[in-house]
Amino acid sequence: MSNNYFNTLALRDQLEQLGKCRFMHLNEFTEGVDALKGKKIVVIGCGAQGLNQGLNLRDSGLDVSYTLRQAAIDEKRQSWKNASENGFTVGTYQELIPTADVVLNLTPDKQHTAVVTEIMPMMKKDACLSYSHGFNVVEEGMQIRQDLTVIMVAPKCPGSEVRAEYVRGFGVPTLIAVHEDNDPQGQGLALAKAYAVGTGGHKAGVLMSSFIAEVKSDLMGEQTILCGMLQTGSILCFDKMVEKGIDVGYASKLVQYGWEVVTEALKYGGVTNMLDRLSNPDKIKAFDLAEELKDIMRPLYNKHQDDIMDGTFSSGMMADWAEDDVKLLGWRAETAETAFERTPAGEMEISEQEFFDHGILMVAMVKAGVELAFETMTAAGIIADSAYYESLHETPLIANTIARKKLYEMNATISDTAEYGCYLYNHACLPLLQDFMKNIDTDVIGKGTVNDDNGVDNARLIEVNTALRTHPVERIGGILRGHMSDMKAII
Amino acid sequence: MKIQLQQCYFDFEQGFQLQDINWQIETGQHWVITGANGSGKSALVATLAGFGEKIAGSSEGIVEAVALVSFEAQAALIERERKKDDADILDVIAVGTTVHQILAEGDVNASVVKDLVEKFALNYLLDRPFRALSTGETRKVLLIKALASEPQLLLLDEPFDGLDADTLTMLQQYLVKLSHKISIVMVLNRCDEIPDFVTHLGYMREATLAHCVARSDEIAYRELQQLLHLKTSDLQIPPTADSSAKSLLDPDQPLVLLSDICVKYDQLKVLQDFNWRIDAGQHWQLCGPNGSGKTAILSLITGDHPQCYSNDIFVFGFNRGNGESIWQIKQFIGYVSTALQWEYRVGTSLRNVIVSGFYDSIGLYSKATDKQRNIADQWLALLGMQGRADQSFNKLSFGDQRLLLIARAMVKHPPLLILDEPCLGLDDINRQLVLALIEKICAAGLSTVLYVNHHSEDTIAGIENYKNIQKHSSNVD
Ligand SMILES: NC(=O)c1ccc[n+]([C@@H]2O[C@H](COP(=O)([O-])OP(=O)(O)OC[C@H]3O[C@@H](n4cnc5c(N)ncnc54)[C@H](OP(=O)(O)O)[C@@H]3O)[C@@H](O)[C@H]2O)c1
Repeated sequence: MSNNYFNTLALRDQLEQLGKCRFMHLNEFTEGVDALKGKKIVVIGCGAQGLNQGLNLRDSGLDVSYTLRQAAIDEKRQSWKNASENGFTVGTYQELIPTADVVLNLTPDKQHTAVVTEIMPMMKKDACLSYSHGFNVVEEGMQIRQDLTVIMVAPKCPGSEVRAEYVRGFGVPTLIAVHEDNDPQGQGLALAKAYAVGTGGHKAGVLMSSFIAEVKSDLMGEQTILCGMLQTGSILCFDKMVEKGIDVGYASKLVQYGWEVVTEALKYGGVTNMLDRLSNPDKIKAFDLAEELKDIMRPLYNKHQDDIMDGTFSSGMMADWAEDDVKLLGWRAETAETAFERTPAGEMEISEQEFFDHGILMVAMVKAGVELAFETMTAAGIIADSAYYESLHETPLIANTIARKKLYEMNATISDTAEYGCYLYNHACLPLLQDFMKNIDTDVIGKGTVNDDNGVDNARLIEVNTALRTHPVERIGGILRGHMSDMKAII
Repeated sequence: MKIQLQQCYFDFEQGFQLQDINWQIETGQHWVITGANGSGKSALVATLAGFGEKIAGSSEGIVEAVALVSFEAQAALIERERKKDDADILDVIAVGTTVHQILAEGDVNASVVKDLVEKFALNYLLDRPFRALSTGETRKVLLIKALASEPQLLLLDEPFDGLDADTLTMLQQYLVKLSHKISIVMVLNRCDEIPDFVTHLGYMREATLAHCVARSDEIAYRELQQLLHLKTSDLQIPPTADSSAKSLLDPDQPLVLLSDICVKYDQLKVLQDFNWRIDAGQHWQLCGPNGSGKTAILSLITGDHPQCYSNDIFVFGFNRGNGESIWQIKQFIGYVSTALQWEYRVGTSLRNVIVSGFYDSIGLYSKATDKQRNIADQWLALLGMQGRADQSFNKLSFGDQRLLLIARAMVKHPPLLILDEPCLGLDDINRQLVLALIEKICAAGLSTVLYVNHHSEDTIAGIENYKNIQKHSSNVD
């Protein structure tokens, strides 16, 4: 096995790479897809990202075809159907890789070493190899032929969104990077920009970053707030309501749809807006709960970030790969058996506001998770813009998947890496919050407060509002959402 | 008082027939009957005064004390007076009946006449011969006669037509007072004239009373008003911003040329060897049962079907799959379908929805120019939605959303306008609204219209080419 690339760098280089992140302006994309025009793009793998990115690139006027492993073609697997029913040329590595000017590697991360090792010798001289996630390069230290240009174009959304937003005439925020060790002709950036335009990403905002910053922030976000916190929160909130005698159908529905509803408010005005949806007394309650949660969970967030930084996380996961995913599969089965997962949502109506009023604890968990993830990432040297996308921005997108089909859907949509990290977090976080949950009652989850009196202490309210509004994630969020809403009226 | 007509048919002169009339008027109600010209609204109201020959159906509670003021009644009175004069064989020049005499005829309340003559400022005319009056003046005389006959039911067909402003105000105030005592039924063409005391609206279409709406039903009432607006006002399709994409097209080439199209999913063939050529200016209707591949054909044209790259498709000068982007194709197309409406779940403003048609986007991601905003506002006015530009699209009724999406599709005057079952899911009144709008668009001749429908009875005036496709699903061997 190769070395962890990040760990081979000197501290000063590590810091420089981690701190690389710049929000690009729309006028930097005036050349459109020109750099890719007439080039032959071959995509390896036709799953969530592969299919949807390919559809967008083709609709942007580019030449796209797919290459799949032999077995997928022979057995006419789903990936083969995805590509051929959509009218793409599909071929074997031998048939297509040697003709490609640009190869998009969109296979699962754990296959990257094997796939890249196999196709690299077949690639044309001076061609380009692209990733949508930098794990292989950063964590596994993949060594790539010196004549090849290596870039990354990583949409900050599940594949289905990548397509849906494009069709609407928009795109999803996208992170691009050039692997500096592999940019022999200095064309990497031009290619990555054209690729981002081809998927529509430039309309929603592009962050120019580095492979390292992408990996270290992406892993942190997905393990903690995005997937881990939502999974742990779902289980704890549901179990608490059942313990307190709330109708199981109601409890199941409140949690399944609640994440989506409360995090929708994040899209419009960040954490502040989400808490502003509560009455003043409830807002103060949510704030206090979140403070308590942050104190309890901070060491866990630090541990996740540390393990990601020093490679402990990836080597642990790669060890599981080597054991045929025994841990991952065990955790997956365990999740399917949780009471929350097994209880169908009831038929009752829950109004949008009721999700807030009866879900104060859920609001507090989202606040705590978003802020902690953001704080931990930026403390580790990741730039605020990047930390924002990997925490607050993506939370509503993941919450949507839970609304569709609970934890099953979430874990099926996210990558295996995210899923593994999510379970890891969940396992540590459940016991950590045990004592905290003992003091929780239905006033903050399930029934809401029964305050006739909406009175609060002025000084305390001002304190809470100021703390909310001046949190660094709100500052950068205001700027980035401003960029987006210049272009996007509907969010 | 309660008048009830059930499944009534009335014959009128020249073969005109009112059909299947179902109508109930109760004490305290005041009606306005509207509809396009020739829809039979005057005839309907006249039946309450005994006109027309009932040939079928049952009518109950027809009131005796009815007064009718209408163009026809006015013409009849003038005609009667003309005949009288002609019949006069005296050697002197006929003066004819004076206004005074006309007003005194029949069973009228003299003090009401006196009062109204003053109110209408007709004093100076009393001694003139009726035949010498202008149209407006005879109309006033007729109104006075009708009001002074103290009817239980007053029928007014376009009573405000041709009245000067002062008289109009006076009459309206008078009617308000009267409405506390008797029932009033009016025929009106313009919806902005509907007085506040009116409680019900009836809409005539093709000789039948198609809709009766209580004013308290706000949504239905507003829809009906919109329909009237579209049907009865002389509207112009707003201009487009700058140049339409039309200028990029070679007029000698077809807009669309589909050759030997095949579409299949998994093992199922949906289309096979399908050919179609659409030339500019040829309006088409595409018909076929569900599942016959209509939507597939459309999405091959619009570029939304992924198999458009594996078929022989020529659209707007592009052979598909040669480096063009779908946005280059979409700039030539305006598109409306139910599916689009499902997709268009956004909280953006009505104005932005229309402007988004310039960008072919769902939602608006670019800053609108002043000109675009202005055009959007003109469209809203055309739809009878002026003043609602900042309302939120997702709060609109289903029918209003559809209208707005049609405006969105038309805003750039696309060379090809595709309307995929534009009436699907709409109730009758909204269907009428949509069809009225489409007819306006066809008549304007700005776009080639491709209209898709699975039943062929919803035809649109101006479409003369038909393409019928049969269900063709078969398994690939
Ligand atoms: N999902 C996300 O939200 C997301 C977001 C941004 C970036 N990404 C990145 O995008 C990349 C692809 O992720 P994904 O979620 O699209 O994966 P996916 O849905 O699991 O699809 C993977 C594709 O690769 C093929 N494949 C699997 N094993 C293979 C092997 N050994 N050799 C060749 N092909 C193989 C699969 O087809 P067969 O099994 O039929 O061969 C399938 O078509 C990853 O780098 C991921 O980190 C994902």
